[in-house]
Amino acid sequence: MAVSKNKYAYAVGRVRVLETRLFDYGRLDRMLEAATAEESLKVLAESSYGNHFAEATGVHDFEIILSKEMAYVIAEFEKMSPQPEMVALMALNQDFHNLKVLFKCKYLGRQGEEPLLPPGMIPLKRLRSGVEEENFRDLPPVIRRAAENILMEFALSPDPQLIELHLDRALFEMKLAVAREGGSVFLVELFQREIDLLNINTFLRVKKMGRSKEFLQLALLPGGLLEEALFLNLLGEGLEGLIDRLANSPYGEIAAEGIRGWMEEGSAIRLEKLADDYITGYLRQRKSPPFGLEPLIGYLWGKQIEIKNIRLILVGKINGLPVEAIRERLRHVYL
Amino acid sequence: MEIRVNPTRMELNRLKTRLTMARRGHKLLKDKRDELIRQFVILVRENKELREQTEKALSGAFARFLLARAAMPIESLENALMYPTRRLSLKVTRENIMSVYAPKFEWEETAVTEEGGIYPYGFVDTSAELDSSIETISRVMSQLMELAEVEKATQLLAVEIEKTRRRVNALEYVLIPQMEETIRYITMKLEENERGALVRLMKIKDVVRASR
Repeated sequence: MAVSKNKYAYAVGRVRVLETRLFDYGRLDRMLEAATAEESLKVLAESSYGNHFAEATGVHDFEIILSKEMAYVIAEFEKMSPQPEMVALMALNQDFHNLKVLFKCKYLGRQGEEPLLPPGMIPLKRLRSGVEEENFRDLPPVIRRAAENILMEFALSPDPQLIELHLDRALFEMKLAVAREGGSVFLVELFQREIDLLNINTFLRVKKMGRSKEFLQLALLPGGLLEEALFLNLLGEGLEGLIDRLANSPYGEIAAEGIRGWMEEGSAIRLEKLADDYITGYLRQRKSPPFGLEPLIGYLWGKQIEIKNIRLILVGKINGLPVEAIRERLRHVYL
Repeated sequence: MEIRVNPTRMELNRLKTRLTMARRGHKLLKDKRDELIRQFVILVRENKELREQTEKALSGAFARFLLARAAMPIESLENALMYPTRRLSLKVTRENIMSVYAPKFEWEETAVTEEGGIYPYGFVDTSAELDSSIETISRVMSQLMELAEVEKATQLLAVEIEKTRRRVNALEYVLIPQMEETIRYITMKLEENERGALVRLMKIKDVVRASR
């Protein structure tokens, strides 16, 4: 159901203000150039992240600060958006992460100290009781189907990767379904691009692992703009073929540069960065409408990228990585 | 310094037997030490090579792991690795190297599923950096076990060499010279006594002859 665009006026107005507070290159540079991780953290303390510093005791607790900030932003956006479920989609992966953790803990018989994330759309309690009682009736149908598949297949072959692959598919299926239901063509197109970029990366990884076509089929996410058959047919061939096939798609440049990087250095750093930058650029081009969902989603993505960058810098600083190595991995900012 | 003993013939005989035994023991221990050192040098060379290989592979893997860590939230990383796909069963037996009991490992790595790979995670939340890191660590595992085995054997041998060396030295520089010294002392004492007895006899003979 589409919502009248005028209802977005207030939300977009606020986002315009918030956008100016996102970290620009200057501030990231200050964090990067700081002598120690503690100094970098001080730069963080001067920003909106400062509100969550009370819960962190030292520089190693930066993950708490980052996840609190993201949870806070999502909660604020859900409050001000006329379609809160659309905003919550940006945190849906957290629910799926939690579901994965709960499934694994169940099968490992492990209790306590679960590496859970703050819930996104679905309360943690519902996920937990669903997994514990093996009854998924209270959960969305996409999750129910995936969970039932997991229960069945895990009994036959206890491979933890199955849990992950089924839930990853379900995550994007659900993202697309909710976006379609909410009538947002923009979101559908965004998620399709995300799926394509992830599929390119997955294809390379599965190819390197030397797994079968059947496995690739399960690992690829359905619903993207690129046909799954394209990847399946190319599994036995050289990577040049993939570059050629993607040349006329929207990802031509990324594919050429990222896949070359993969072939030369055997690492996906380049490709992963380019993929994130592509989405950032895509959203940046669409942030102009004064009434609509686009600026909100753009900001949330920008925030996620900002957190990714901050994490890169802090982990790098704590472990004494060279500044240049961190810099080449930093994503473009949304501003 | 000689051992304090009664300078008797019995004591002398006893000491002589002890000395031959000590000499024989000394020779045996010396041979043992030489053989231990030979074995030790072989092991140390093997150890050095293994360690260099393993460390090189592991430092590469750790560097990649760190980059993977920097690219994902800690919870994602923990979730990715919380359920292992490999099980390692280890059997420890003992191997006798010159009466040093070094551990011998036999291990078997089994997969939790037949067709499954070594990677316990999906592709959406994880960075490709993690793949190569996990791949290396999984490859290095058997090298690590071998290294542990060799390194422990080397340590045990080193302790044993130290012990044997101390024993050899004690025999060579303390016990044997001491006994030799004592034997000399007893022999001298006995000869002295003999001479004394002889003189006494001659003296008595003189006295007897004079009184006649």
